[in-house]
Order: sequence, then structure tokens, then C-alpha cells
Amino acid sequence: MATLAHDGHGDGHNEALHHQFENIDQQNESYVVGMWTFLVTEIMFFGTLFVIYTLYRSMYPMDFYLAHEHLNIQLGAINTCILLFSSWLMVMSVHWAQRGNREKVLLYLGGVLACAFGFLVIKYVEYGSKIKDKMVPGPNFTTDPEKVHGANFNYAQLFYGLYFSMTGLHAIHVIVGILIIAALVRLWWIRAKSVVLDYIPTELVGLYWHFVDLVWIFLFPLMYLIPKPH
Amino acid sequence: MANTPLSHSHHVVPARYYHINLLVLALLMGLTIAAAYWSAPGGVVVNNIIAVGIASIKAYLVILIFMGVKWASPLTKVWVLAGFFGFSLMFIVLCDYMTRQFEPANGWVKNGQSAYPPVRPGSVQNVPDNVNFRPRGSGN
Repeated sequence: MATLAHDGHGDGHNEALHHQFENIDQQNESYVVGMWTFLVTEIMFFGTLFVIYTLYRSMYPMDFYLAHEHLNIQLGAINTCILLFSSWLMVMSVHWAQRGNREKVLLYLGGVLACAFGFLVIKYVEYGSKIKDKMVPGPNFTTDPEKVHGANFNYAQLFYGLYFSMTGLHAIHVIVGILIIAALVRLWWIRAKSVVLDYIPTELVGLYWHFVDLVWIFLFPLMYLIPKPH
Repeated sequence: MANTPLSHSHHVVPARYYHINLLVLALLMGLTIAAAYWSAPGGVVVNNIIAVGIASIKAYLVILIFMGVKWASPLTKVWVLAGFFGFSLMFIVLCDYMTRQFEPANGWVKNGQSAYPPVRPGSVQNVPDNVNFRPRGSGN
């Protein structure tokens, strides 16, 4: 949203409407479709990892079940709640952006930021305990059968390789989310025309944040809640 | 509330949709955890289907309500559907892995059309018994 074109066409005196669009509806749709195009590439990005996970879990169901027992389900569940709640906070901030209520937008966006930091703190605690237990795949992977709960060490490394790459990639997305939400908060704070006159930037940041939540919705049951093969 | 004169044509969704959606998502999360500890009749496959099924419903609700696709333009809906359709196509790659136990096909060995060298009788395969690994000929 670099410069706001002054109108002279379209649906009246609309400062947010850029000159290449017929009207605000067309402009909004273009932005949303553009954002979804990006999100589709993100789906593909995570998608390959989900395919790899499906493949190896179907090959070694028992080892994945045993290795996953070392994960902390409580922390995973808390993080799921945090992300679901932050998604609600985000959609509420978009809701108030549409109605032009700056104070409420800032309040809800602040809540989203707090949730994002909370998520990362819990992730830090989780990663810390896994690193301490030598659960990082590689030459230093644990040789203690209790740590992998009796699973084959090679297959346990496969599980933890997928665990760290998938949740790590997700955590990177959370960090990026914090950066763009912080940028959005700043724009609202200084009453930048680009966000105050047009709710779409807030909406697009919201779409990104919901996508981050979406990935975790699948990661949580796949990583933390593997049912016992029976 | 009427101080956004510029985006006046968009549809503002009543906030109660979001509240209800959050509640349903939280309930489904609880259901996911409960379902994971339940030994489903029919084996662990049923558990897996239930887990991914609930996750899919949650994802559907997030996309529909939180991401606003329910109220989006038809073009946006097509775009979203195309994305997830493309994602589902990725799983076709599993057909390769799941059928490797049937290889090498006799015809391939006989006429040498396989891209991989045929298994020679008596060749040593250092592969654990339970690993579904394409047997390769050694020494050529």
C-alpha cells in the first residue's frame, strides 16, 4: 500500500481505491486472491513434509508411537489453545478494522502478539528439554532406550527429524508472523492511511496468521497424539 | 462504527460467528485428545482416520469462518479449493512407495527394461527384514 490514489472514478470519492481498479470490491478481491495465491504455495511447502510424515509413519507405526511418547502432550495442548485463541483475537481485530475502531484493533493485535510470544516460549521450553535429552537427530542422538521408549533408534531419529523440521518450520512462520503483526501494529499506532482507510492490510495479515494456526491444527494430532497401534 | 467511509461496500460479518467458531474449535480440540486415547474398534487405522477427520473439520471451520471464505467471492473460493486439491495430489507419490514390495516385476527382470539393476540370485541385501526397501543388485 504505497501511495493512495485520489479517486476520480469508480464508486465515488474513495481514497483507498487505487487507479488500476474499477471499484473497491474488485480491489479487495484482487488483494485477497493474491494473498491466497501465496498461501497455496505455503500449503505446498508444508505439504511435502506432511507427505514424508505420512510415508514414514505408515512404514514404522510402532516406532513412531513409542518415540512420540517422549513429547510433552500438555505443552502441545496448551500451544494449540494459544493458537486457536490467537486466531480468534486476529479475526476480531480484522472485524474492528472493518468498522474503523483503532483502539480495539490495537487491543486485539496486542493480544495476538502476546499469544505468539507465549507460543514461542513454550516451544523454547520443549525444544530445550529435547535438546538436553539428545533427541536431535544426528551422530549425537541418544543411545538410551528409555528416551525413545524402546523404539528403534534409526526410526526414532526419523520421527524426531520430522518433528524438528515440521514444528521448526512452523515456529519460523510464527516468528515471521510476529514481525508482520508488529509492523501492522505500528501502522495502526501512527494512524497510517494505508491501514486506517482500508481494512485489507489487516485482513491479509489475518489470513497469514490463520494459516499458521491451520498448520498447527494438523501438527498437534500428528506429532503429539499418535494412537497406540492395536 | 461508521467512520470507515472508504471500504463501505464490504460485508461486515457479525462477531458472534467468530465467538461460536472459537467455542466449536476448542470442543473439537478436546475431542481430538480424547479420541487419541481411545482404542477404536477396527484398529489404529480407524483412530488415524478419526484424528485426521477432526483436524480437517477444524481446518474447514478456520478457513470458512476465520479466513472468511464463506463470505468471499467465487474467484477466491475456486483459488482456495485449487490449493487444497493440488495438495491432495501430492499424496499420489505414496503409490510409488506402497507398491515397491511388488518389485521387481518379473517382466522387468526378464527383458531388462527396469531402470534399476535386477536382483541377482544370492546377492547380499543388507536390509532389515521389516524395511520395505527396493532390492537392488550388488556388484554391478
